[in-house]
Amino acid sequence: MSLASSIRTIAVWEMNRSMTTMGRSVLPLAAGLLVLLLLVTAFAAESGVHMQDGMYRIGVDDPEVARIVAPDGRFTAYLDNGAALWENRFAYDIVILQGEVYAADTDKGRAALKTLERDYEGYVSYVAAGEPDLFAAYPLWIDLQYVKSEIDFLATQSGQQVGAPTDAGRPPAPSGPVEAVTPPASAMPVSEETLREHLADTGNNHPLERYTGVISGGSAMGDFRTPSELSAPLPFDAIILVFVFIFPLYFTSQFFMMSVMNERVGRAGEALLSTPVGPAAIIVGKALPYFTIMILIAVAITLFAGAPMTILLPLVPVILFFLANALIIGMASRSFKELSFVSIFFSTLATSYLFFPTVFANTHVISIISPLTLVVLDIQGDGFTAMEFVYSTALFFATSIILFYVGITNFREERLFSQKPLTSRLADFVSAGISRDHPHISLFLLAGFTIPFVFMAQMLTLVLFFNIPMPLSLVLLTVSAAFIEEFAKSIGLYAVARERPGFLTPKNLLLGAVAIGFGFLVGEKLLLFATLAQITESIFGSVLFLSLQVLWMPLLLHIAGVLITGTFLLLWGRRAYLPGLVAACVVHSLYNLYFLLGALQ
Amino acid sequence: MNTRNIGLVAKKELLGLSSEKTIVFAILLQVFIAMFSSFLMVGLTAMYDPEAIEGYSTVAYGVGYAGADSALIGEFEKRDDLILHRMDLSQALAALRDRKVSAVVYVPETPPDAEGPVMVTLYLIQNDLQSSVINVKVKEVLQGYEKELREVRADRMTAFPVELNFPDSGGGENFFEFVYGLLIPLLVLLPAIVSAALIIDLITEEYQRRTLETLMSTPVTFAEMVWGKVAACEVLVPVQAGAWLLLLGFNGIAVDNAAAILLHASAGGLFLILLGALVALHYRERTSAQFIFSTALVVVFLLVMAVPYNPLNLMVRLAVDTVGPVHWLILALVAGATALLGWGVTAYARRVGEATPEAR
Repeated sequence: MSLASSIRTIAVWEMNRSMTTMGRSVLPLAAGLLVLLLLVTAFAAESGVHMQDGMYRIGVDDPEVARIVAPDGRFTAYLDNGAALWENRFAYDIVILQGEVYAADTDKGRAALKTLERDYEGYVSYVAAGEPDLFAAYPLWIDLQYVKSEIDFLATQSGQQVGAPTDAGRPPAPSGPVEAVTPPASAMPVSEETLREHLADTGNNHPLERYTGVISGGSAMGDFRTPSELSAPLPFDAIILVFVFIFPLYFTSQFFMMSVMNERVGRAGEALLSTPVGPAAIIVGKALPYFTIMILIAVAITLFAGAPMTILLPLVPVILFFLANALIIGMASRSFKELSFVSIFFSTLATSYLFFPTVFANTHVISIISPLTLVVLDIQGDGFTAMEFVYSTALFFATSIILFYVGITNFREERLFSQKPLTSRLADFVSAGISRDHPHISLFLLAGFTIPFVFMAQMLTLVLFFNIPMPLSLVLLTVSAAFIEEFAKSIGLYAVARERPGFLTPKNLLLGAVAIGFGFLVGEKLLLFATLAQITESIFGSVLFLSLQVLWMPLLLHIAGVLITGTFLLLWGRRAYLPGLVAACVVHSLYNLYFLLGALQ
Repeated sequence: MNTRNIGLVAKKELLGLSSEKTIVFAILLQVFIAMFSSFLMVGLTAMYDPEAIEGYSTVAYGVGYAGADSALIGEFEKRDDLILHRMDLSQALAALRDRKVSAVVYVPETPPDAEGPVMVTLYLIQNDLQSSVINVKVKEVLQGYEKELREVRADRMTAFPVELNFPDSGGGENFFEFVYGLLIPLLVLLPAIVSAALIIDLITEEYQRRTLETLMSTPVTFAEMVWGKVAACEVLVPVQAGAWLLLLGFNGIAVDNAAAILLHASAGGLFLILLGALVALHYRERTSAQFIFSTALVVVFLLVMAVPYNPLNLMVRLAVDTVGPVHWLILALVAGATALLGWGVTAYARRVGEATPEAR
């Protein structure tokens, strides 16, 4: 059988099997639940969300005032005469006496006051909207226009403030080119009826309602609004994209994870392994239906949201990444509960990696490390260049391919059906990649292959520490970067020491350390040239990727790090692994800090 | 049913959880989230209420002003955190692009008492945290200007709203509504959902690994086995929820009536766990059971949220201490529904247990 035809056979078989296990009883119930979901959604839309009902107590002396807060469930209003209210004023968060508002001097009282102010604004607008002369009630209309401005990565380094500097004396002069702009027209281009309809629509907005409109886009109103409708732009609107695009894709990858796990439960996959089909064909064949379904889901959501089809391009590596991780988690977990916890943990990490950089979309080039930023840019209509696509997706492609490779080499009986704990199974997976005849070449390659993961982890710490003040963030970044690198370099050595304790002689340790050091350096160079050139030029980049300026120094450092960990392993056995790692990490951090201080001066 | 047997099964499951060290992942996860907490606090609050961001900024911002003279200039001069620069529109927009100013307003020549509206154009930087801050500040200025214009045109109005005089709120951020009205109920709910997902794993695993026969050969009955697992999952709910409340307490967020909140969480959690157990007993296979359960969970959650005085709302009211004794009634109702579901699960488990081993 050729590879293509065996992949096809497995894919068809996987489809049939999951359809029969799922189809028999799940689909009718799922359809029933879907109908229920629609009914409940309709009910919830009718009834509203009753989560924050009755948070605040408000005492009023006028039924007319009580009517202002009546539509807001957060307030429980008590009507009483003024003297009684004043006497019991500490039982209320807010007391309103003859049009004067008194709020309790607590966090709760202040929160209640803020909510009341907003309700009052809504009430005033409501009264004004009934006016026959609309432009007497709403004399001021705002046309909101957004201007694009991107800070380059060196901004904070060169001492330029991200917030605009202010000098009260004279108006600032732009440093860039000045384009002539024609002043906007002073006449209202929208008819009065449209304005009235619009005002009737926007009654009292709940804070959460603003998020429902992010995907569907603007209304007929365009950008016109009254001052009180001027709500702040959404700096975090990408979170909606996470919900809309990433969660369905992640959810589907769970089925693949389960399918892999099911092969292992009760040795069910034994029959499959005994067929002449190779592990590569099995895994690719099993993943193919899920990959197709995920692409179809992404297409459906894109069509539904009316977004450009090009956003599928950055989603493909994300899908691959989810599938690759699902494969490894499915192969490594011992039990279902382990599967659940590990996959929840993974999904949190992956979501943060995807989401947090997008907060800086349009503002900072760091955002480009997440493919989701490309989606944001594309939906905004800005698009992305081929170079940006390579920047943000290269790590996803590389890690996915490596993880699939690890999965394929370990898709064997003795690995799949063993009942070892998670960590030693993962160590097994690594040691499967180390050949017995050429261990040093394997260590060299392994060190190279860890680079994409090291970069990803370091990128995550970069995002994590990005908003901490400068000196502290650099120190944290230095230490964590050193730890990640030392850990990545040591896993090959640790796996060998575990599998073949006799291998670890002083001579082999030295050779292995050199091999790992070289492999690490080569991987680093290769990937850096391909990708993150922009980030490496900044001060943060020089912390993470310090080792690129001079070649022999970092090589010695990499070798020394492995040697330290290896010596600990050699002298005191595997129990000394952690202290060895810490020692190597300290040396590495000191080295980095020394050079960093030199760079700062 | 024998409580000792139930206890034994529960203990076995809890030991299994700790020996697999999966709980380490749960702790790691919480530490990871804690690391983001400063970011999350600002970020999530801003998502909930962007106007809260205003409190974080203490600097003054420059605003470019182009076009005709108007009373708006006076409104800007009242504020010391916004500095107005009279500029040419093209110059101002270029300066905005360079971030030399934070916003630009353009005012047309429309007189204040004109027939039509005054159309002010406001330029901001796109999708930027700083824009959110500026937006809030400029909004207040524009609202002042709107009030002034309304006064000029007051003789054209027919109805007048009730006057309310607000004290100076002092501005600033306010996490209160976000923390008490959203964060606390969700944090308390989370352990319940995790436990419900866990019971599905525990039950379907016995089926899929074919370990039921061994278990059934012991004096433990099938129903006792199910209830033992339910007990193990249920114990985790108040423990985790309590840990969250303690953590919030350490961060200076005092939660009233913590014991009552934990009672509500435990009752609601048991309901979800039993629901999960029922789904797992029916499907005996993880993929289908988890799929159906997560869909059912969304339905239940939406339904509960749409009902006044739902348990989540009660947790909010309990946390801010505005609840009456009515919450005991709701707790009794939830407990009753849970007992009914529990009876259902027991009956179902008995039927499965009495069936022939092949039919299990």
